[in-house]
Formats: sequence, C-alpha cells, structure tokens
Amino acid sequence: MKLKIAVCVVFAVLLQTTLPRFWGPLVFVDLPLIVVTYFALRRDVVLALVVGCVTGLATDAFSGGLLGANGFTKTLVAYLIAALVTRVMLDNPLVRIPVIAGAAALDGVVFFLAHQILGQRPLPPFVETVAYKLIATTVVGTFTFYLLDVFFSERARMRRQFAFRRRAARRSLVRR
Amino acid sequence: MVMLTQREIRRRAPLWLTGLLVLNAALMAFSAHQSGDITKPRVVQVWVQALFAPAQGAVTGLGGALSGGVRHIASLNHAATENEQLKRQLADMQTELRDARAARDENERLKQLLGLKEESQYTSVPARVIARDPNEWFNTVLINRGSSSGVELNMPVVTPDGIVGRVIGVSPWTAQVLLLTDERAAAGSVVGQLGASNALGVVRGLGRNGLLEMRYVSGLEPVKVGDYVLTTGQDGIYPQGLNVGAVVELREGSATQPHEIKVKPSAHLNALEEVAVLLYHPPARTAPTETLPNMSKGKKP
Repeated sequence: MKLKIAVCVVFAVLLQTTLPRFWGPLVFVDLPLIVVTYFALRRDVVLALVVGCVTGLATDAFSGGLLGANGFTKTLVAYLIAALVTRVMLDNPLVRIPVIAGAAALDGVVFFLAHQILGQRPLPPFVETVAYKLIATTVVGTFTFYLLDVFFSERARMRRQFAFRRRAARRSLVRR
Repeated sequence: MVMLTQREIRRRAPLWLTGLLVLNAALMAFSAHQSGDITKPRVVQVWVQALFAPAQGAVTGLGGALSGGVRHIASLNHAATENEQLKRQLADMQTELRDARAARDENERLKQLLGLKEESQYTSVPARVIARDPNEWFNTVLINRGSSSGVELNMPVVTPDGIVGRVIGVSPWTAQVLLLTDERAAAGSVVGQLGASNALGVVRGLGRNGLLEMRYVSGLEPVKVGDYVLTTGQDGIYPQGLNVGAVVELREGSATQPHEIKVKPSAHLNALEEVAVLLYHPPARTAPTETLPNMSKGKKP
C-alpha cells in the first residue's frame, strides 16, 4: 500500500511539472494537492501529514519559489482535512467538492502569505491566480478522486480480496 | 513492533504536525536567506531535479508523443488547403532562393576580397525543456543539460527568436532556467538599433501575462509601438545585440517622467521545447581603485 501511495505521489509531481509544458493554463491544476487531499480524507492523520509534507517538498524541488513553502502549506491542509474528517462524514462524492475547493483556496493563500512574510514577492494578481487555481483544481480533483478510488478505496480493496479468494477457491476445486 | 491505537495516533498527530511545520518553516527561512542573492546555487533543489531527471524525461517524451499525435489528427482537416498554399509558396520560394544564392556567392567573393573571416561569437549547448515550474506564481523551466555539458550559473538561454532567460541552478545533468517573464528576471536593453539609439532601460518580467515591462527609458527618447528591443550587454549576464522582443504598449513620458513600455518577448516562452545555452562569460569589470579623488578625500596623511 505504501509503495502504491509513493508511486501516486511521484506520478502527481511529475505530471504537475510536465503538463503545463503542453498547455500553459494546466499550471493552475494542483495535482499534488489533489493527492494530498485524497489521502487526508482517509482518516489516517499521520499518513496524511507525511504525504502532505513529502508531496509539498517534492513540488518545491522543481519550483522557483522557496524550498519548504509547499511542504508547509500541504502539511497544514492535510492536517486540517484529516482533523475535519474525524468529526464530519465526508465520504459522499458531492461533499468532497467543497473540500477540494477549500483546500485549493487555503493552499494558495498560505503559500502567498509565506512568501510575503519572508520577503519574496510572487507577482501575478493574487485573487485572480487563487480563483483560477480553485476552479481548475476543484474540477480536475473531482474526477481524479474517482480515478484514485479505483486503486485506493475500501471497496476496491475488498474487490481485490474477493477476486483473490475466488481464484484460490477455483484452484482448490481443480486440484480435487 | 509497537502497534498504536487510533486514539494514540490522534493524540500524537499535533506533535507530528508541529514537527513537520517547524521543519518546513526552517527550510523556508534558509531558502529565503539564500535567495537574497540569486547568483548562489540552489543546492537541494538542483540535486532533487537531477535525480528526477530520467523519469521526467520519460514522462515528457510520452507527453510529447501523445500531444504530437493529437495535433497530427487535428491538422488532417486542414491538410488539403494547406497543401495548395504550400505549393504556391514553394514556387515563390524557389525564385527567392535563386536570388539568395546569387547574393550569397557575391557576399562570399566580397568577403574574400576584404579578407574577413566568418566566426561565431559564442559556443552554444542545445538543450530540451523537460519540465516547467509546478507553481502558478513562478516562471522557471528545467532543461536536460548541466555542468557536464559546460553549463554554468547565470549563463544566458536563448532560442532562434530571442532570449529566454538565465541559468539559476546547475546539476551535472540538468539546469534550472529563470524565464525573462518571471518578476525576478531582468535584462539591460535598448529600444531600436544598438549604438544608434539612446532609449536605454531595463526589461523586467511581469509574471503570468507573458509581457515584459521596460523601465527607466527617458521620456525624451523617441519610441514607437512595434519598435524592437535588443540587449545592451551591460547587465553582465546577456551579451549585447540579442533580440528581446517588440514594443506592444506605450504610454509616452515627458522630460521628467520615463516612458511606460510593455514589451512582448520574441521567444515563445509559453511553448518552449528546444533552447540553447550560450557558454558566455561576460567581460570582467574592473573594480574602482583608491586613486579616485573621492576615495582619497577621507584619508589622513
């Protein structure tokens, strides 16, 4: 499972750095944040924190901004979502939409503030950039969550387990 | 191995959170301290980029093949019309080519007569863009050539259309390039012909809209929309005479106010694929000596 999560994180970061090469506006889709939000919704706080921190730092490694800025924002976002999910039921796909939107907005605001506080000046218009990011990340995130469910959801795990059991049962029948 | 209950994990989570936030804050502070001087190498980023470079190259290659395929299918519709146009253009070009060959031969003969030699000014290293900045706030790209190919910090990066930016991080196999459209990038430039125009200024990035801003150009200098902008070579990064772009917006200044100029870069910075790093070292500047009159004033004999 941990290997699958690691592969997912690496793939998200690689896609995030590659896709805007082919179409500029894709930079507003925050794939690493979508992955972090997905794992934060799985009710494992520590896993969410580690995924948030590692994904953020990996994103920072390719960025021209401050090292640790994405690590900071994504860790914070992961914790807040993981804390929220223990109190509120967020399994419904419709409820996930405002969660992704909130995560995108918070990530953008904290990232901008962190740079401002440390004397860096990300220049593009703040409200416009955060709004684009919020819309793009929410739309893509909603569909990406379905894709991630195929590999990581409880139902998918059960399906795989039953498939294994069925195969084992068939094999034992053949032997008899 | 000690198994923790969900309650214990939840109780320890704030500790994990604090630890990770402090770690990231410390990294940010260190990075901010370093980024005060953009000429300093970005060690951590550069090495992580170098490690990811092979996977990055593979993903980029796959993406390129896919987008090329899509583009190919989309272009089939226009193929017949385009074919007719190209045939007409080919006929025109053949006539022009004959004239150009004659002119080239004449040029060669005259050069031989004058004893001039062809020489290229700078050696360049061709490179491929393998990644873009994952953040919407910054404009950098990663190229697949590094110090093993002779690339060094602050070397200019160009395309045949114009300048792209400069190198801000180098590993043995990759280099990070700060694009000219980034707010932290700048280049000493002149509007019009180098040597003939006094419209000198500094071109700076404006962030995402893809335009550049040219500052400090005297309001008395004649500038028009459509004028081209070249590098002056006085910034110690870019050699002189490279194409920067063209003036697209102008708010005229006065005797006391500089012009407000917006420049569109000639290089297509949003769709970069192939670039070249110029292995250019700016001429060393001589430091002022103590023989200057204002330096010796304060000294007591």
